[in-house]
Amino acid sequence: MNALTSQSDFLAETAAVRIAMAAPRSRFSLRLRENLAPFEAALGLSLGGPLGSRASAGERETLRLGPDEWMLHTSLADAGAVEAALSALYATQPHSLVNVSAREVSFVIDGPRAAELLTLGCPRDIAKIAPGSGRRTVFDGVTVILWRDAPDAFRIDCWNSFAPHILDLLKTGARELAAEAP
Amino acid sequence: MSHYRVPGKGRVDLSRPVSFTFEGRAYTGGRGDTVASALLAHGVHLMGRSFKYHRPRGAVAAGSEEPNALIGTRRGPGRFEPNTRATVQEIYEGLQTNAQNKYPSLKFDIGAVNDAAYMLFSAGFYYKTFMWPRSFWDKVYEPFIRAAAGLGVSPTEEDPDLYASRNLHVDVLVVGAGPSGIAAAKAACAEGLSVVLVDENAEIGGTLLSEPQAVIDGAPAWDWIATELAALKAAGVKVMTRTTAIAYYHQNMIGLCEKLTDHLAQLPDDTPRERLWRVRAGQVVLAQGALEKPLVFHGNDRPGVMLAGAAQTYLNRYGVLVGKRPVVITSHDSAWFAAFDLADAGAKVQAIVDLREGVPETLLAQARARGIPVKLSHTATATKGRLRVKSLRVNPVSGGSVEAGEEISCDAVLMSGGWTPSLHLFSHTKGKLAWDEDRTTFLPDETPEDCVIAGASRGLWGIEAALNDGAEKGRAAAAALGKAGAANVYGVAQDRTGTGISMKELPTDLSAGKAKAFVDFQNDVTAKDLRLAVREGMRSIEHVKRYTTNGMATDQGKMSNINGLNIASDALGRKQPQVGLTTFRPPYTPTTFGAFAGYHRGHHFEVTRKTQIDAWAQEHGAAFEPVAQWRRAWYFPQSGESMDDAVRRECAATRASVGIFDASTLGKIEVVGPDAVEFMNRMYTNPWTKLGVGRCRYGLLCGDDGFIRDDGVIGRMGQDKFHVTTTTGGAARVLNMMEDYLQTEWPDLNVWLTSTTEEWSTIALNGPMAAKLLQPLTDVTLTEEAFPHMSCVECTVAGMPARLFRVSFTGEIGFEVNVPAPMGRKLWETLWEAGQPYGITPYGTETMHVLRAEKGYIIVGQDTDGTVTPYDAGMGWAVGKSKPDFVGKRGLARPDLVAEGRKQLVGLLTEDGSKLEEGAQIVFDAAQPVPMTMVGHVTSSYDVGTTGHPIALALVAGGHGRMGQTVYIPMPDRTIAAKITSTVFADPENSRLKIPADQGVAA
Repeated sequence: MNALTSQSDFLAETAAVRIAMAAPRSRFSLRLRENLAPFEAALGLSLGGPLGSRASAGERETLRLGPDEWMLHTSLADAGAVEAALSALYATQPHSLVNVSAREVSFVIDGPRAAELLTLGCPRDIAKIAPGSGRRTVFDGVTVILWRDAPDAFRIDCWNSFAPHILDLLKTGARELAAEAP
Repeated sequence: MSHYRVPGKGRVDLSRPVSFTFEGRAYTGGRGDTVASALLAHGVHLMGRSFKYHRPRGAVAAGSEEPNALIGTRRGPGRFEPNTRATVQEIYEGLQTNAQNKYPSLKFDIGAVNDAAYMLFSAGFYYKTFMWPRSFWDKVYEPFIRAAAGLGVSPTEEDPDLYASRNLHVDVLVVGAGPSGIAAAKAACAEGLSVVLVDENAEIGGTLLSEPQAVIDGAPAWDWIATELAALKAAGVKVMTRTTAIAYYHQNMIGLCEKLTDHLAQLPDDTPRERLWRVRAGQVVLAQGALEKPLVFHGNDRPGVMLAGAAQTYLNRYGVLVGKRPVVITSHDSAWFAAFDLADAGAKVQAIVDLREGVPETLLAQARARGIPVKLSHTATATKGRLRVKSLRVNPVSGGSVEAGEEISCDAVLMSGGWTPSLHLFSHTKGKLAWDEDRTTFLPDETPEDCVIAGASRGLWGIEAALNDGAEKGRAAAAALGKAGAANVYGVAQDRTGTGISMKELPTDLSAGKAKAFVDFQNDVTAKDLRLAVREGMRSIEHVKRYTTNGMATDQGKMSNINGLNIASDALGRKQPQVGLTTFRPPYTPTTFGAFAGYHRGHHFEVTRKTQIDAWAQEHGAAFEPVAQWRRAWYFPQSGESMDDAVRRECAATRASVGIFDASTLGKIEVVGPDAVEFMNRMYTNPWTKLGVGRCRYGLLCGDDGFIRDDGVIGRMGQDKFHVTTTTGGAARVLNMMEDYLQTEWPDLNVWLTSTTEEWSTIALNGPMAAKLLQPLTDVTLTEEAFPHMSCVECTVAGMPARLFRVSFTGEIGFEVNVPAPMGRKLWETLWEAGQPYGITPYGTETMHVLRAEKGYIIVGQDTDGTVTPYDAGMGWAVGKSKPDFVGKRGLARPDLVAEGRKQLVGLLTEDGSKLEEGAQIVFDAAQPVPMTMVGHVTSSYDVGTTGHPIALALVAGGHGRMGQTVYIPMPDRTIAAKITSTVFADPENSRLKIPADQGVAA
């Protein structure tokens, strides 16, 4: 789903966790009113469910961040198709689709202690974020979107300028966790 | 083998000797020793000097409540810590420790003259002594107080250690791993609940470590601890030792400070010294136990005088006799057991002196069996000995009168004034306390938090009672979370239950006025001080505390509070609850700054946001300045240039040809939806309905009070789509404000806001050559006709998808090119290359500030201060007066906002051609008497621009009506006269904004 460009791209790798930069994706912020069906039809995936719900179809995956807000990721190639599909809806189904592909980057974190690594900076109860769901939350004081892809695999989306700060703590934590007895 | 170590006693592993130094002398202890226990094993009681009187002091306790034995610890460069409690610091190979507050040496301290002059240092000494003369304050008193304040020496080197922090969510947190806490954790961990058990000590067990004689359900106490520890771990309980619950914050968030390396001889790699845990617990069980109270009598602070329970701990847990000829003075049964334990370990107990008339026969029998003399109805009135106690003077008390005393020779005095339930964390919850008359102590009552309190910390006494209460409270915590829990019922043999009475200072036949009967050991507060405070009018314990400093030391009065309260309430003739108890505040024990700072130090101290072009600026020698969280290029000095030189050059080059500026930090918000234009009309002061697609407008944002909050250029990218820019520092604030209005006031509007600040890298080109430079790189026709000032368009620039704005913050022909953020550096370099024929000059924020000031463009937050309206700023033109409403419309109609004489933004030109100081105050009449009536201040001032003379912007009362008048700026050395002018100093006709007809070349 988030193929790394190559296996040597790990920014940090310890016995506890591995941290890598995800390959570039198209990202959209989607805002709309309550009528989900036309958008689900246009995008080919479900937008319903409680906050934190995710859905995916092909390259596209969505995460519900708010009652009227979704983050939509897809391949670079698919961006135009997404914009076209929703643009056709605009006249009858007002909404906002803003391309934020250039705004953010994602770190991929996996390893036996990935969930613990997140507790260094995230005040949420990581255990309550089920695999296959996600949250908008904070990490070390910075707003991030957290995707839990598996029990021990996560992605963190953050704005470009916050990425070095977040990565710095992730690296510190990767070393710290590896140094302690499990 | 050290002289006071008892073979076969204690949990210290002497087969693994550990060497350390104290005061430069080497000592040996065993693995498991603290500095205090290891020194006591060598007969060393003298561990420090007291704060005020420099009296010799030794350890009085055996745990974290220790007020006296504060030491400095060192392990190599940077790793120095003052005020470490010797009773807590574990020894490790190579540990260096020193006593504090001594000069020239611990044994001979010149500061001890304070002790002889003690009559001068009474309660309120500082308030009385440093009152007058006033002129002495700065030069004499304050330096004296500062020099005298604080114990120990602050570290001077940077701390090389790592500090960490983590968040932890748990169903049940149990604070304190004594019998109550262990039983509570066991009861609560049923049915899959997550349980954390924390204890500040190196190992769990609490009081059981000091009472190995107890037999719990048939198992000796120490075997029981081992079994329970294994069982708790097997049940998934997270057991954290060397971890202090320092604070109970709101809604069951508890701060834990875990010490990870302070006991290790070798520091492991990548391992923090301390970790602060932020725990959110469903339920909390507080099982902090109880702390023993000292007795208050003359000389109760001499080295060798210590709590009886501490002596019991040193013997049973550490295998150390604190004295071979101890005498016991007590008002509680518990000290009798300490005497018995010490006697059984070979000490010759000189006497058990009890203040009570009667004690249980079983105690008397046990004393008799050991041949220990017993003195009931006796008081202690003095001790002797210089650096170590040599004797205790005791007197019979009969019918309220103190009779002739006798001296009992001894090498230690073990005292017990009973026990105080530890209510610190409970108090942090704003829990209410209830006074218990029988036990003369406060007990926990109600708390607003999801918290229960168990065992000795709610006044229960004895191991069996503590175990069973802990189990029940653990079960209750589980039940509160909807689980059954399982409360064991424990039976304890050889439990040492008992009772006692609580005392004020002990009765004496000596002069009470000369008694050095200490209540607060750490702050050197005596019973006499407390009574003096009451005589001098203090009525509340809060006032008594501050007047005497009782309980205000780093131990927060763990030992002194109840004794102090008993004495104050006696002096006032009122019951303790009417006098009150002082408030406990976090942290429970002193905590390092490192633990609180965690990872946020050095380069990770705070987020530093950098643009995509920041690295280029760095490579080209830029100086940077922080703007909100961003670091921005400030100016680009060439070799040998000062800041003024560089800015002057950048300003001139931009006006002469073309300058390039990184504007990426400007806040950007994409406003999208059918109601976008309506939203813009309501939000900004300006009208937006008639703004055509492809056009921009300067927007002004007010608060509902009518004062300017933010500004920026806004482009209409489509009928329903606006590209809003905000100030750099205002980006998050403006988006929040807009969302707030949208969600609370106008939820009916079909419009959505998305932050695009970081979607775009924004590069500004300004100068007469800007269009010429840019034209070859874009398919947009950059002529005055095709793309006039205040146009915007989606296009490509240098092959990149772009939003191109024709705007100017300099007064020159200006463009802002927005490209997807990661392309920013590429675009910058492309423009840089293309600009070489024009001598393109990179400029920073300072030049930007100067060039905009020459045109009278305001900077929100510099030329406005939250009290400036659009009219005050001379921008009434930006207010859409015919709009039905906008944020701030009603505020702008308030009487004081339309009154005459408001401070208004004007230009200032000094008569002598000097540069004004930003922030300088302005007066109309320099000849008026001081204090003068100030009528405004200078907001911006520069002398490095292109106008040939310094310029300034200022807010001046009624300024718009005072054009041409002279105002005065009084400075320390002179008064500067300045003429009020328009705010526009350069090109008032805006002729330079126009692209000459010969420049734009059709694409």
